[in-house]
Amino acid sequence: MSEVQRRKYSQEEKNAIFDGEFMPHIDSMYNFGYRLTFDEDDAKDLVQDTYLKAYRFINSFEQGTNAKAWLFRILKNSFINEYRKKSKQPTKVDYQEVETYYNSDDVHYQSTSDLRAESVKDMLGDEISNALNSLAVDFRTVIILCDLEGFTYEEMAKILDIPIGTVRSRLHRARNLLKEKLQGYAQNMGYNTDVDEENIE
Amino acid sequence: MEMNDNPTGERKTKCSDESKCFELLESILDGELQDSGKEVLKDKLAKCQPCFEHYHLEQAIRDVLKTKCTKQAVPTELADLIRRQIQDIK
Repeated sequence: MSEVQRRKYSQEEKNAIFDGEFMPHIDSMYNFGYRLTFDEDDAKDLVQDTYLKAYRFINSFEQGTNAKAWLFRILKNSFINEYRKKSKQPTKVDYQEVETYYNSDDVHYQSTSDLRAESVKDMLGDEISNALNSLAVDFRTVIILCDLEGFTYEEMAKILDIPIGTVRSRLHRARNLLKEKLQGYAQNMGYNTDVDEENIE
Repeated sequence: MEMNDNPTGERKTKCSDESKCFELLESILDGELQDSGKEVLKDKLAKCQPCFEHYHLEQAIRDVLKTKCTKQAVPTELADLIRRQIQDIK
């Protein structure tokens, strides 16, 4: 069957797909939008925009394929094409604060032995969240897609339009950067790390 | 160190190919290497201390990300707003 000449869905089918396959992902979509923009209104706009586009182009969605990945791809493209262009100012919220934490001294991530699983388990939601939010958007995105939303590398490759090898290496780099941030928190908060006591002011 | 369950004794303290091993462990945690991954994992965790620690650290980070970064409350009116807009373009 030709992929280009897709069938057209009837109104009933459209409604069923929209309600049954698209709307259940609204929580994940909003969370993704919020973590991209750090702004509730912008996240709402992005999600709305994504759902309108999804409805408009519903005939190019193949029923039975991964609706969540399809929606995430639209949201990611909307963010890149529209939101990023119109937003000239740097991202708001705790970004600045988090950045100053790490700019003073170079915290080169070298080995996991400096950061302990136990310290990570003890961290508060805000610390984890701030560490994630402080990553550059490309790195943040792969962690969100993989660790928060559970997409496979193959799905991520399609959502992001990059090869699987790039997904893997970008994730690896993103995780190292995240660990640097967490390590910074752990040291500043006096958690047990191998280099404790040195950096506490 | 917790769970030192290696029956043959000490794990090696240096990993000969850390960055490659760590990337592999991350792929296993991500569920990308199904059955073959389990054997590799078992072997690495039993024999190599840096790999053992890296694996548990990565797992802890995934757990906290999943439990602490996915609870952004969706505005209650958002779903209704979307449905109304869809009605308009139908």
